[in-house]
Amino acid sequence: MSLFMDLNLPFTADKKRLKTLLETAAHLGFSTVAINYFHEGQSKGKKEIPKPTPLAQLVDELPIVQGKSRPIKVLNRLTILVSDASHFRHNAAEYRAYDILAVQPTTEKLFHAACMTFDVDIICITVTERLPFFFKRAPINGARERGVMFEVCYAAAIRDSTMRRYTLTNTLALVERNKGKNIIVSSGTDKPLELRGPYDITNLAQLFGMSEVEAKDGVSSNCRSVLLHAETRKTACGIIYTVKTPNDSQPKDGPPLAKKQKTSAS
Amino acid sequence: MQPAVFERVVVKNSPVYQYMKVSLVLEQAQTKLTAVELKHLITTGLKSLYGEVGAAFPFDLLTFEEDTLTAVLRVYSRGLVRLWSSITLLGFFQQQRCAFRVLQVSPYLLALTGNSRDLALDS
Repeated sequence: MSLFMDLNLPFTADKKRLKTLLETAAHLGFSTVAINYFHEGQSKGKKEIPKPTPLAQLVDELPIVQGKSRPIKVLNRLTILVSDASHFRHNAAEYRAYDILAVQPTTEKLFHAACMTFDVDIICITVTERLPFFFKRAPINGARERGVMFEVCYAAAIRDSTMRRYTLTNTLALVERNKGKNIIVSSGTDKPLELRGPYDITNLAQLFGMSEVEAKDGVSSNCRSVLLHAETRKTACGIIYTVKTPNDSQPKDGPPLAKKQKTSAS
Repeated sequence: MQPAVFERVVVKNSPVYQYMKVSLVLEQAQTKLTAVELKHLITTGLKSLYGEVGAAFPFDLLTFEEDTLTAVLRVYSRGLVRLWSSITLLGFFQQQRCAFRVLQVSPYLLALTGNSRDLALDS
């Protein structure tokens, strides 16, 4: 059960660019991607929260994921840059249009609030500048208990060497605090040449101090938890998934199918 | 006809080398580069991420196809994570954007001749 996901592809109005971006992501092996709409919280002026563009208007045909023979799944995600507690409105109707909800806190107080009380799925960690606060154990543990994930974007590390240092420093600090758990690694770029494959990211996450298993979880099962958490958020108490197990139609006697093919070829 | 006999070989020691098959994707597809330039590019990447000690790390460029920009690298197993992360974070080649796509990684060079993920098993 490891479908790879990239939950941060920034939205661009340029359709052609978005198409190549989705094609690259599918070619690299990502089964699910989320188009990210960024919203900067403002107390004055009341900037409107953007409405997600319906997928049918963006792309005509979804590309096929490499090695899966299934089209890529595209979700919508909203990220709110919170610099004041009032910027995040609980249960706002605008949030309902999105599959995933994320916040990017700018101060320690807001980080604490985001971990403990905000009803979100992802907390973004700033990677383009020095972190203005230290990670404390209490909010991190609180977030883990509530199933909120922390997100690290790696695109800035490819772009610039100074930002690479900040990415490494901030992520190392985070991994040190929560022992590599509850972290998802996503791209956060709208350029196809800055996207990297899931195994590249797994390897890169080992550089952040995560173990191999934690690193792989960061692009696969933790992302799945985010999606499930997001669905739970919309309902009153929870969701249940049932999967029909395929019936074993193979004949019980005789060697397994794979072995039979080998001998029959000779 | 005798059925094929299979022999099972178990290698207990950790492999000395790891082989990587990588391809370089450039923004301007018509750009040509030689094997020397490619190795220099990778070394620059190692140096920018790991410094002098990292740049001194031994790795070999075994083959390089200039028309497809595909190369096979050989590296000591211990340095795989370092080499891989440095080529992951390479983003520029002579002021134009580039990206390395790691196609296959294996401890056996023979495994790079074919990709099991491209096989059509159900046909």
